[in-house]
Amino acid sequence: MIVDINAFIGKWPYWPVTATSPAEVSAQLAGWRIDRAAVCSTRSVFVNWQDGNCEVEQASRTENRFIPFACLGTLELSHALPRTGYDFEGYAAHGFRGIRLYPQHHSYHPLFNSFTGEILEQAEMRQWPVLIPLRIIMNWGMPMLDLGMIEALVERHPRVIWILAGINYLHELELAVTLLRRNANVHLETSCVMGYHAIAKLVEQCGSEQILFGSGAPVQHGGAGVAKVAKAKISETDRERLLGKNALRLLRLEEK
Amino acid sequence: MVTDGHVHIGKSTRLQINADGEMLVRIADELGIGKICCTDLTALFYDMHEGNRLLFEQMKLFPDRILGWASLHSTRFGREALDELERCRNDYGMRGLKIYSTPDMSIAEPAMIPILEKCVELDFPILGHTTPQECEYLLGYVPECKLIMAHAGGQPFAKGDWNRAIMSAQRFENLYLDTASSTIDCGFLEACVAAIGPERIIFGTDTPLLDPWAQLAKIRETNLPQQDLELILGGNILRLMGVAA
Repeated sequence: MIVDINAFIGKWPYWPVTATSPAEVSAQLAGWRIDRAAVCSTRSVFVNWQDGNCEVEQASRTENRFIPFACLGTLELSHALPRTGYDFEGYAAHGFRGIRLYPQHHSYHPLFNSFTGEILEQAEMRQWPVLIPLRIIMNWGMPMLDLGMIEALVERHPRVIWILAGINYLHELELAVTLLRRNANVHLETSCVMGYHAIAKLVEQCGSEQILFGSGAPVQHGGAGVAKVAKAKISETDRERLLGKNALRLLRLEEK
Repeated sequence: MVTDGHVHIGKSTRLQINADGEMLVRIADELGIGKICCTDLTALFYDMHEGNRLLFEQMKLFPDRILGWASLHSTRFGREALDELERCRNDYGMRGLKIYSTPDMSIAEPAMIPILEKCVELDFPILGHTTPQECEYLLGYVPECKLIMAHAGGQPFAKGDWNRAIMSAQRFENLYLDTASSTIDCGFLEACVAAIGPERIIFGTDTPLLDPWAQLAKIRETNLPQQDLELILGGNILRLMGVAA
C-alpha cells in the first residue's frame, strides 16, 4: 500500500496543472498507484488558510483516498477583525490527522510569534504530525525556509512529531540526517529528494522508520516520486515502510 | 533504443561524483538504457585536454555504449579550444559539445561565437547548461547552431522556469530542450510537446547526480504517443549526433 504524506488539491498559481479538483487529483494519484494521500489545499498556502482547510474537509468527505491535513497560518492581526482562534476541536471532529506549516508563504517567522507555540502544543497533545517544508516543491523560484530555523524549531519542540519536507541538497540532507538521528520524533519525506542513490543512502544513515514517501503531487509528477522509492536499492521491508507503513503508523491509520 | 543524452563521468568533489564508465554502463543496464552520452567533469570544470582524453579512454572500453560530448571549461581559450573540438571529433570520435554557464561566468558573450561557428562546421550539437536568455543570445548570433538547453530551465540559474524555456524554443527552431532536472513537475513534458513537437526534446537523466528512475518515469508515465516517446527517449539525440539507432 502506498501512502503519500505530501499531496495537494487546488490550483497551482505559477503554471497550469492537469489535476486540481479533488476528483481529478484522486484519479491522478490512483494512476500513480498511490492509495492514500495526506492533502492540504494550495488555497491555504496562497490565498487563505481557513478557506483551504474547508476545501480539504469537503474533499475528504467524498474522496476516501485523502487524509486531511490542516494548513495553519497566522491569525489576523491587522484590519481590526474580531479575534479568532484555531479550531483544533473542529479539525479533529472532521478527521484531520496532521498539520502543515508554510511560514515562508504566510509572512511569519515561526520562532518569533505567539501562535506557533500554541499550534505545536496542540499538535503534541493530539499526536498530530507537523509537516514543515524547506521548499514547497523542488524549484528555485519558490521561497525557502532557513535550515537553521528548522533546526531551532525542532530543538525547541522535541516532542512534536515532525515531518521535514522539501529537502534535496546534500547539506540539507546532512542536517536532516543529524536531526533524525538525534530525535526519533523527526521524520523526512521524499518529494524533493532527487539525488542519485539518495533514498538508499538515507536508509543506510538513519534506518527506514523515519522516512516517508511524499510526492508533491499533482504539481510534481507522482509516478516519478514513486519510482525513486520503488527502485531504490533497499530491502523490501524498508521499502514497505517508506511507501506506506511509516505513514500509517504516524497517522494511526489501519491498512485498508 | 533508449539513449540518455545527459550523463556525467569522472570526478568532482563539489558535485560528490566519482563515476567511471563501468559504473555508468551498469546503471544504464539497470534502467534498460542502450547508449549514454557522457561529459567528463575534469573537462567541464578544470582542463579540457585532460578531461576529454579521460573520456576517450572510457569510450574505448565501451564503444557501443558511451557516446562522447567534448567539453570545454571556458570560452576564453580561443584557438586552443577550437583545436580541441577538432581533436575530439577527429581523434576521439566525439559527437557534440557540452559547456557550462553560470551567471558570474556566462557563455552568453562574444568569446562563445567562434565556438558556436566551429560546432556548426563540425556538425556538433551543443548541450549547454544555459538559461533561456543565454540561449536566445547565442542563437541570435549563430541561429544555425543546434543548441540543447540542458535542464530546459529546470536548474537554479533559470529558476526552474521551464515555461520560459519553451517560449525560447518556440522562437528558435534550432533550440532543443533536455529533460534532465531536479524538477519533476507534472505536465512538463506534455507542455513541451504541445508547444514545439516531440522532435526537439532530448531525454536526459543527469546521472550520477540525479535519480535516473525518477527521470525516466517522468517521461514514460505520460499519455504521449509511443512514436513521440521513441523520439524523446533516444531518436532525437541519435539523429543530432549522427548515430544510427
